[in-house]
Amino acid sequence: MNVLIVEDEKGLALEVDEFLSHEGFTVEHARTKKSAEEKIFVNNYDFILLDLGLPDGDGFGLLKMLKGLEKREDAVIILTARGAVDDRVLGLEQGADDYLAKPFSLSELLARMHAITRRKHRLESNDINIKGLRVNIQNRTVMFNDERINLTKKEFEIFNYLVLNKNRVISRTNLTEHVWGDVLEINSDSNFVDVHVKNLRKKLSQYIPIDWFETVRSIGYRINI
Amino acid sequence: MKLQVKLALYNTLTKVAIILFTGLLILLSIEKISYNHIEVRLEDSKEATLGRLSTGEINNFLNSQKEYTDYNILREEFINITPTKYNPNPSNEIKFSTESRKVDNDVQIYRILSHQFNFNGHTYLLQIGEAIESVEELKSIIKKFTLLVLFIALVLTLISDLVFTKFLLAPFYKIIDRKLIKVNDPMNFDYEKIKTTTQDFEMLDDSISSLMKKISNLFILEKQFIANVSHELLTPISIISSRLENILLHEELSEGSENKMHASLKTLNRLKSIINSLLLISKVENNQFNKADVVMLAGVIKEIHEELEDRIIEKQLKFTNHLKYIYSIQGNRPLIHTLLFNIINNAIKYNYPKGSITIIDELTDEVYSISITDTGPGMDQKQIENAFNRFEKFDTDEKESYGLGLAIVKSITSFHNIKVKVDSVKDQGTSVQLIFNRDE
Repeated sequence: MNVLIVEDEKGLALEVDEFLSHEGFTVEHARTKKSAEEKIFVNNYDFILLDLGLPDGDGFGLLKMLKGLEKREDAVIILTARGAVDDRVLGLEQGADDYLAKPFSLSELLARMHAITRRKHRLESNDINIKGLRVNIQNRTVMFNDERINLTKKEFEIFNYLVLNKNRVISRTNLTEHVWGDVLEINSDSNFVDVHVKNLRKKLSQYIPIDWFETVRSIGYRINI
Repeated sequence: MKLQVKLALYNTLTKVAIILFTGLLILLSIEKISYNHIEVRLEDSKEATLGRLSTGEINNFLNSQKEYTDYNILREEFINITPTKYNPNPSNEIKFSTESRKVDNDVQIYRILSHQFNFNGHTYLLQIGEAIESVEELKSIIKKFTLLVLFIALVLTLISDLVFTKFLLAPFYKIIDRKLIKVNDPMNFDYEKIKTTTQDFEMLDDSISSLMKKISNLFILEKQFIANVSHELLTPISIISSRLENILLHEELSEGSENKMHASLKTLNRLKSIINSLLLISKVENNQFNKADVVMLAGVIKEIHEELEDRIIEKQLKFTNHLKYIYSIQGNRPLIHTLLFNIINNAIKYNYPKGSITIIDELTDEVYSISITDTGPGMDQKQIENAFNRFEKFDTDEKESYGLGLAIVKSITSFHNIKVKVDSVKDQGTSVQLIFNRDE
């Protein structure tokens, strides 16, 4: 899948590039509105990561232009330091698929991209198979041999996020932010994520051994596949 | 005491003093003048009497060495000649005195001239008196009149002064009220001039306005600065955090380095939270939010309860929601959510394990209020006063607190015109009351 990063901050663009390349994406950069326009005009992208504040104009203009093109299904995720609610609403209204406020974590970005892919392309199998557990994102369920494992909403979110970011340590902070949203002043260091993870592991372990569900001491969790 | 009353009082007192002074002056001078007149007349009649000694009735009395007394019909005047011990060289001086004399059971006050003289080898004392009752009467009339005038003047001046100073000082009080008392935020200062013809008040008005202008410019500058700085910091933080995440992908990383990376990410996250909180405050203070939503408070509280349920359970708190009313306000829903979230989150954060959180509401004719009460360690008066300042934090079990939660509460409540009341008893708990004005 190919991604166009429209971002004038070279440092950030390079990091996102490195991360997504590592995840198997093909990545291109555009640092100005003009060069982005040219690229969008010529190529189809699976994802366009769009910064709103560009040196030669507003990202909304690009979004409008893209939506004006025919037969385009490029998914747009707006990345911006302008965290205003109005911007978010305006962006989504104008056809962006998601909105991430800077600074965001790359694993969160990846999770959002996965979610969009599933929504857009209706993958033939919505299920992710992990050690015999079937994670269905549409229905938000986890099945084991046609038996549904009864997870709470938050337990499912945590599991899903860890599965999407498999083989990577996900910190409590990162998990908290993903599950509870970007709530100000919420205590990222509190162990109340642990309570959910503990319950989740207890539930899963009733079906299969979960040695692959690793607790990384003092940092967070990792699912090894 | 109000300036107006002081001025009126001062004016009245000075007027009373002037009237008293002139009254006394008049009284004294009347006495002096009339006595003077009487004395001149008495001296004239002395001369006349002395001239008549050798003739008529007086002569007979003198010859027989008897006392001669003569009153006129109305007893307003008398002449009295009494023989005294012989004195060959009587002093020629004339003495005046005021005495009362009893004539036929009637006491009269006279101004009396006394004079010794020799006549035909004898010494006599001549006394000529004139009643001064009329003078006394005049004096008492003037006294009464002065008192009356004094009283009337007093009342009149007091009233007129009060009315006039009220009129005169009206712009002054208006300036104080509109430009100083009612201003709780220099951003919403009313620069309209107060009408007055008094130059001093104009100057006062102008000075206050220009001072406010300066203050609000500083405020704007400060807010813009915070907003810009915060905004500009977000991108570099984003780059660093992405870079750290990428480094973590390298498998050859030692466990120690990996831990350090994660710790750094956590620190960055903290930085991000602080910046976002400051940005939120500055946006609220710059009125960058609209108030177009109808927000049902009970619904928001229910939502927050669900969001925070984990923490409530974790701390084994008893959460009691006693809201009786479905009350909605016009405002910004995300902000009201943040407001209540921060207060309830604090009630959890600053609570003892197995404590309780109670939410009650109250509806009166003027206001609707919600109280959120915890059973935490409480605060003393000084802590309450400081609680809403930025970066003010108290001891808590939890390691990370940025001290911005209540600063956000403060900015959101003043944006929505909500009053906040904090009651706290040390070691018993804290109650935060939000008071919504029903007029709005």
